[in-house]
Amino acid sequence: MPRIKLEGVSKSFGKITALEQVNFEMQDGEYITILGPSGCGKTTLIKIVAGIWTPTEGRVLVDNKDITNTPMEERDLGYVFQNIILFPHMNVKDNAGYSPRVKGLSEKQIEERSSSAMELVGVLEQQGYLPNELSGGAQQKASLARAIASKARLLLLDEPLSALDARVRVELRYALRRLVKDLNLTAIHVTHDQDEAMSVADRVVIMRKGKIVEIGEPTQLYNQPRTLFTANFVGQSNFLEGTVQLVENGNAAVELRGERFLKVANTGFSIGDPVVLAIRPEHLTLSPEERPNTLRSKIEESRFMGPYTRYRLRAETGDELLVDLPTTEAKVADGSSASVHFNPDFILSYTRPSQGLTEALRLE
Amino acid sequence: MVSLRVEGLRKSFPGVVALDGIDLNVREGEYVVILGPTGAGKTTLLKTIAGLARQDSGHIYFDQQRVDTLMPFQRSVAYLPQNYSLFAHLTVWENVAFGPTVQDWSPRRRDQIVREMLNLVHLSDRRNSLPRELSGGMQQRVALARALATQARILLLDEPLRALDARLRLELRQELRTLAKYLGITTLHVTHDQEEAISVADRIVIIRKGKVVQAGSPKEVYEDPSTPFVSNFIGEANFLQGLLSRVEDGFSVIMLSDGRHVMGRPTNVPVNSQVVLGVKTDFCNVYHGKVEGQNSLTGTVVRSLFTGKRTTLEIQTGQGLLKAKVPSDQSLSEGSEATLRFRPENGIVYPIPNEGLQVALEVE
Repeated sequence: MPRIKLEGVSKSFGKITALEQVNFEMQDGEYITILGPSGCGKTTLIKIVAGIWTPTEGRVLVDNKDITNTPMEERDLGYVFQNIILFPHMNVKDNAGYSPRVKGLSEKQIEERSSSAMELVGVLEQQGYLPNELSGGAQQKASLARAIASKARLLLLDEPLSALDARVRVELRYALRRLVKDLNLTAIHVTHDQDEAMSVADRVVIMRKGKIVEIGEPTQLYNQPRTLFTANFVGQSNFLEGTVQLVENGNAAVELRGERFLKVANTGFSIGDPVVLAIRPEHLTLSPEERPNTLRSKIEESRFMGPYTRYRLRAETGDELLVDLPTTEAKVADGSSASVHFNPDFILSYTRPSQGLTEALRLE
Repeated sequence: MVSLRVEGLRKSFPGVVALDGIDLNVREGEYVVILGPTGAGKTTLLKTIAGLARQDSGHIYFDQQRVDTLMPFQRSVAYLPQNYSLFAHLTVWENVAFGPTVQDWSPRRRDQIVREMLNLVHLSDRRNSLPRELSGGMQQRVALARALATQARILLLDEPLRALDARLRLELRQELRTLAKYLGITTLHVTHDQEEAISVADRIVIIRKGKVVQAGSPKEVYEDPSTPFVSNFIGEANFLQGLLSRVEDGFSVIMLSDGRHVMGRPTNVPVNSQVVLGVKTDFCNVYHGKVEGQNSLTGTVVRSLFTGKRTTLEIQTGQGLLKAKVPSDQSLSEGSEATLRFRPENGIVYPIPNEGLQVALEVE
């Protein structure tokens, strides 16, 4: 049912532009996460969809109906905040039954809706507790129950997991995605956490400085990010600046600092183009001997990270490289030399940004 | 450089035991992370060491000197609380110079240390900025520089990265460790985030409900967790309950509820007892279809959660819902038949916890 469309939405607060010409559309039943660093405008965006704020420019449409100026209470949506807001004097059950009660439903209907919402999010056993008697995770589940008991088909989640412990967050991610899909809700979920964004969403909207940088499915954003910013923000990448020296059948030879070359597959670039190469730490491998497409490097540090071991190396080009090897295969010692192998198929290439690489990657 | 020793530290608040006999040894220059869920007593422990809370019993020593009778300022610790605040009306330089000024250092010595600290946290060019003109990450760095400018003997960090974006945390946690190691300062860093703990610590001390559960290197606590809780808290684990039926080739053989057998590491638990086998989801491999053989559990993939480099598969099996965290290129689609397998040396056999498995695993 709810198909949401934002048309040229901008929002200014005095001299500060929080959102600039945002356009996007989502389908019924879609789970969208809006991901970006602090101050990117993601919270402003969700508050405009909620009706808490009115855009300075542009329109918000739900099922082709303009709701830009419809107040929040007349929009059919459930909202879950970062700072858990439950009625402190009401137990979980009464919190869950709040919206049906306000809507004037019968006691029987209130009972049905609140019980089924509590069961779905897994707080049925805690229904008699007051919020302050519950853990943070259980409180956030209760707010989720309250949001879905309204039977709204649109669920807005504003950093719903940020106030919780890391380990609890991981558990609740699973619960959120399951809930939205099982109830066939349409969800917009704002977060600064890229793991969270990718694991729950059908599509992720990446924002920066009030603008949408790109939109894509999690696997596409991770494997084929269209911008350098995304390549760095969603997962980590290694970046190497260079210039294209040769192009043959779509393969390019890129010259890096120190007169070293790397072969890159499938680039659309021409000879002389200044480029930045990006590759994920897990796509690099270490080999003791020189092979084609390697850079000689010195291992500065290795660090056990659980399933993988992370190596920090200094390449002969002067670039710092991060290489992640499965811990079971990680047997190289600090201080020794190794050749870092670049699989041409895993190297992504971008136009070298005019504002400089550091600025293009900046996280805040 | 000093070492830190804590002996039998106890502290109760009305109705809550925050510290229940904590013993801790931190070597000179060591970086130790105190890891545990919210309410474990982590912050109370730091405050007691800093002198901002007074223990009910127990002692604290810096080197051989007993310090728990000293006033906070006499202990010479740099304490960065969770909700630090910078002086809003003072510049970056003045904020960092605050400690040395109060301690009446000569202007020359004061200026030298402030300059050095700002250099270390990469903020020399922002020395004249006010806190509100800085990003969250920069403010965090100023707070750190201010804490360190007193040339303290011990650095205490309480959730130093909690207020920052997830992606930025990855950068700053490396900086924290590098800085502490460069200064050679003995550091205690409190967090609820197990990835953060693994990535910065020389040693991790896991506490829960006011007690130390396990202490060891990141590799030790990850690969040899002493309890089911640790096994599931550092990373994520699957648990299989059954009867320890015999020992074969040095491995424990466990009969599950459906009569099938799985093998795990040797254990001290006597044969014919009820046991639980814990295996990290990172150590579970997944194969398409039904695969027979040792430690194989076949079921259906009910959900796949992509997080970039790795994907978590939830598989419904005869032994309940099991998870496997696999490299994303080895992921399987939802609905497909899959077999989860693990090596016997990765299955750790524990006695059934007295309080029941569910309660033993609670993360909040």
